[in-house]
Amino acid sequence: MISERFMHVIEMCSNAIAGRARSHRLLIALGIAVLMSGQAAAESCAELREQHGEDHVSIHCGGAPSATLDADGRLWVAFVQNKHVYVSRSDDNGEKYTAPVKVNAIPEDTEFNGENRPKIIVAESGEVLLSWTTKTSPNFTGEIRFTRSIDSGKTFETPRTMNDDGLMTGHRFDSLFLTESGKLYLTWIDKRDLDAASARNESYPGAAIYYTVSEDLGATFTQNFRVSRNSCECCRIAIAPHGEDEVAILWRQIYDEEIRDHAIAVLGAEGEVTGLNRATVDDWYINACPHHGPTMVQADAEGEYHISWFSAGNLHSGIHYGRYDMASGVAEDIIKVDGTPGAGHPYLAKHDDTLFIVWKGFNGIASQLQMMQSRDNGASWSEPQTLFNTERASDHPLLVSSEHGVFLSWSSEEFGYMFKELSHEN
Amino acid sequence: MRIRSILLASVLTLLSTQSFADNIQSFGTSTFAELKAGFADKPFVVSLWSVDCLPCRVELEMLGELKKEDPSFPLLLISTDSIENREEAVYILEEYELDGIESWMFADSFIERLRFSIDPAWHGELPRSYFYAADHSFTAHSGILTREKLMEFFSSAQ
Repeated sequence: MISERFMHVIEMCSNAIAGRARSHRLLIALGIAVLMSGQAAAESCAELREQHGEDHVSIHCGGAPSATLDADGRLWVAFVQNKHVYVSRSDDNGEKYTAPVKVNAIPEDTEFNGENRPKIIVAESGEVLLSWTTKTSPNFTGEIRFTRSIDSGKTFETPRTMNDDGLMTGHRFDSLFLTESGKLYLTWIDKRDLDAASARNESYPGAAIYYTVSEDLGATFTQNFRVSRNSCECCRIAIAPHGEDEVAILWRQIYDEEIRDHAIAVLGAEGEVTGLNRATVDDWYINACPHHGPTMVQADAEGEYHISWFSAGNLHSGIHYGRYDMASGVAEDIIKVDGTPGAGHPYLAKHDDTLFIVWKGFNGIASQLQMMQSRDNGASWSEPQTLFNTERASDHPLLVSSEHGVFLSWSSEEFGYMFKELSHEN
Repeated sequence: MRIRSILLASVLTLLSTQSFADNIQSFGTSTFAELKAGFADKPFVVSLWSVDCLPCRVELEMLGELKKEDPSFPLLLISTDSIENREEAVYILEEYELDGIESWMFADSFIERLRFSIDPAWHGELPRSYFYAADHSFTAHSGILTREKLMEFFSSAQ
């Protein structure tokens, strides 16, 4: 414990020193037009390992981090390292982080990759809520895990398995969302129906989408409810609010056994699934794992959603954006965001009247973190801007929004973990 | 002293052969170009797979049978998983009797560049396969590579 605290102090100090030099270098090297507030405190894991050894646990070394801001504007980040989920907090928007707290005491084969990462939400009353997927065999089986902290992240309850079928089958790609009214939705890709069909010798394309709801911030959950059969098996599920108590989700769904486009639906707290419809018509005929999940945020008009997705279909190829209307069942203002090969993994967020989209491109040498903004509800967009270039490995970019703004949450070998405010264009 | 060093050397050899008991090679940014050069004026098939890809298993099963029937079938089998997870890949390859042949695993965390070195137009979906004709003009295929598709490739190349 003492050494952990000591390491943390060293990490904080070196952050402060290295951060200044690096922020200048970044600015010069990239000539960024859009700027982020604060110092670039990101630190690469390689540097930390040199100082503290190979097993050093840090937000900059952890796999597939995801972030949230609590009601007081404090940043919480969950990441995976050495078969444990860890949580670290920052009270200054990512300048300094608290020593990571181990969430699961017993090691688990926790999934951590672009499409599969731990999710973290902090309720207004302070409960820290977490979900993730734990792999249970090399054959695509997994369990949806949930835990929470009721002492402000000091300790966590023993993780619970949320899929209630007791089957050794696929339960993966979890998504977690807390509505303003306090209903906690946990949804995932589930293979119980595939198993049942196989047992009857029936063919069954893909997997299924299931969910469960908690009305007491994770103390108890409902039974599992099915949203849809025949989902694609390997893409993250996007989730956004619908009214006060419900959520809308967007996922890759199999149509006509061969097409992998997207479906949308509204989930209610008692298992009601409404508005189930095809959201994208790309005609991507593929019997493969795209590993490219969609993103969505609520638009201003009721029942409208900004959505972005990747497809290599006959009708749409590349990253696309559209505004889906639940009432008409149609997406409008569809544009191709980036059709260059290697472009993927878009993420949307909104603040005031500005809609942000970030994604990753690749030009043959470097990965580029790209961004565009729209100030008219997605009708028109700014030119794409490159926020960062890196010639080393990097995670999918994520966005976190609060009443203060939109923040980029991104992990890369070169810059470590960064949490940066994206400024609005004037 | 000499005997001791010989003994030590053999123990070390034993240890090193044990830790690389599989037939998996590192796939880096220049590997694909090198492998292609090894097939100069010859047709070959590339199959890209991952431990995390269900449809890939169907393709691996077909390729396992194919290699059993024709051990000389020109196949480049490449896993896009990190070579650090080689045990898991070997476990799966064993299931399809593909552990006996040389195959490759991604050995650079910057996977975008490795993908690009194989095909700049590939989005990363799996399984992905390529049929290279003798003049190395190629056809790409996303989704499960079936025996029929493979035959179609070979017959159209003739």
